[in-house]
Amino acid sequence: MVRRTREGGGLVIPTPGDFTSRLRSPAVAARVGVLLAISFCLCLVTGLISHEAQSADPVFVLPTSPVWLYRLNQGLHVTSGIAAVPLLLVKLWSVFPKLFARPPKKVKELIVEALERGSIAALVSTSIFMLASGLANAAQWYPWDFRFRATHYAIAWIAVGSMIIHIAIKLPIIADVLRADIDSDTHDRETSKPSLLTRRNLVGGAALASAVAVVASAGSSVPWLRKVSVFGVRDGGPAGIPINKSARAANVVASALSDDYRLQVQYLDQSVEFSRKQLLDLPQHNYELPVACVEGWSASGLWTGIRMSDLLDEVGAPRGHDVRIESLQASGHYRVTTLPAHFAEDDQALLALSLNGEPLSLDHGYPCRLMVPNRPGVLQTKWVGRIEVVTT
Amino acid sequence: MTTVRVIRTVLVLAGLGLASIGALRLFDLGWANFVAAAVWLGAGVVLHDAVIAPLTILIALGLARVLGARLSGALMVGLIVIGTVSIAAIPVLGRFGARLDNPSLLPRNYVAGWLVFVAVVLVVAIVAGRWAQREKGHSGGADPRR
Repeated sequence: MVRRTREGGGLVIPTPGDFTSRLRSPAVAARVGVLLAISFCLCLVTGLISHEAQSADPVFVLPTSPVWLYRLNQGLHVTSGIAAVPLLLVKLWSVFPKLFARPPKKVKELIVEALERGSIAALVSTSIFMLASGLANAAQWYPWDFRFRATHYAIAWIAVGSMIIHIAIKLPIIADVLRADIDSDTHDRETSKPSLLTRRNLVGGAALASAVAVVASAGSSVPWLRKVSVFGVRDGGPAGIPINKSARAANVVASALSDDYRLQVQYLDQSVEFSRKQLLDLPQHNYELPVACVEGWSASGLWTGIRMSDLLDEVGAPRGHDVRIESLQASGHYRVTTLPAHFAEDDQALLALSLNGEPLSLDHGYPCRLMVPNRPGVLQTKWVGRIEVVTT
Repeated sequence: MTTVRVIRTVLVLAGLGLASIGALRLFDLGWANFVAAAVWLGAGVVLHDAVIAPLTILIALGLARVLGARLSGALMVGLIVIGTVSIAAIPVLGRFGARLDNPSLLPRNYVAGWLVFVAVVLVVAIVAGRWAQREKGHSGGADPRR
């Protein structure tokens, strides 16, 4: 604990020596740090995959099978971020006294210290930023003025870079304390006193808190956890599948319900129009496919509709072309999306007309929507009005 | 240079490289976006160092005073679980992103869920604490408390 007052009284900035708990030690920080680094790395890798999956101009594209790949990736991304929250908090707690270390007097030492502190400041601020912005995004809470996706992506690189610098600087002490017994006091402050909780139990407690945070929220993507996930962000929805954006929010109710609705399919100067009834007369296929949102939630449903490849055959389009999908939405980031050729040609790539045996609900994209394996939810265009084979 | 020194130097350079990529990308998003992000980058640190960390110390001191010898190691672990998981749950507890036109978004009564979560953790922690104490009594070990 902290000795708050000193002789003379008044508000005094504490020194590291004022913190007396022997739990605040490099032995704890390094061990919790290892767990934190693992969750950060998992978050980074899945984040990069997710970023590419959503990119209009990707460096690599996901395969179409197994169909749960993107769902797993996104679930892991959000879950590893949630798992990191308790670990980061305990880690920061264990090193908090260092914040109050007085700067050294020699110039050379001062420079080294300034660099180290700079890297730590970058690491701490970016870590908190990544976790806080990610958590808020999963709950569709945007209390900021920056662009979420681009900023979250840019700052991820700063977080990882400063984490690597931090590990490099601390490598000797990390190696030292990880080799020694957790209760060794070689690197402790002189003022450390025994505490009620053991170091082992603190590290175990941090890991337990991390596991509890995961279980309490993972139900949004793991169906059998739905009942215990008291902090799950999605559940229910039309035909049992949650939605992200309603037809009303997308301002498409009138055009989606209009009797004049026609789906236009175009390849060069070949153009065919279909009413929803005509679409229902084409060969229908059923596939069990997950809707997996970038925000981490996912749900599997039985989708029924026309194969994209059958539809493209209607206008005599050859294979190997990307396909542009346009929504009836008048505006919005994802009004128009491009479906890479290998997705469009997959047997399970559907223009879906019904879900779980019910006609597609308005909020799920009536009259028809895209449903393709391993595509982020935002790219599974709803209220499709036009499909055009890209030939340029 | 020793091997360790080489590894550390390479790591620092790699870290600087990656962080620079991120910084450049951040600047590429425009000045207004950068300022908005910078505010949040700073606010997170201030929130932790000036609010969460001191508050944790005060709460710990208060609990130690109120509970005295009843504060077991198991209960402390329970409080760590409650404190950290609650912070992770702030966005859903406030239901800030809820929308009337989408009942599938933030569909639960999160405050009720939080109360159940706290109750379950406390009960488990108290029972585990008692159980650990009894075990210690049976084995006749000395109380490790200071």
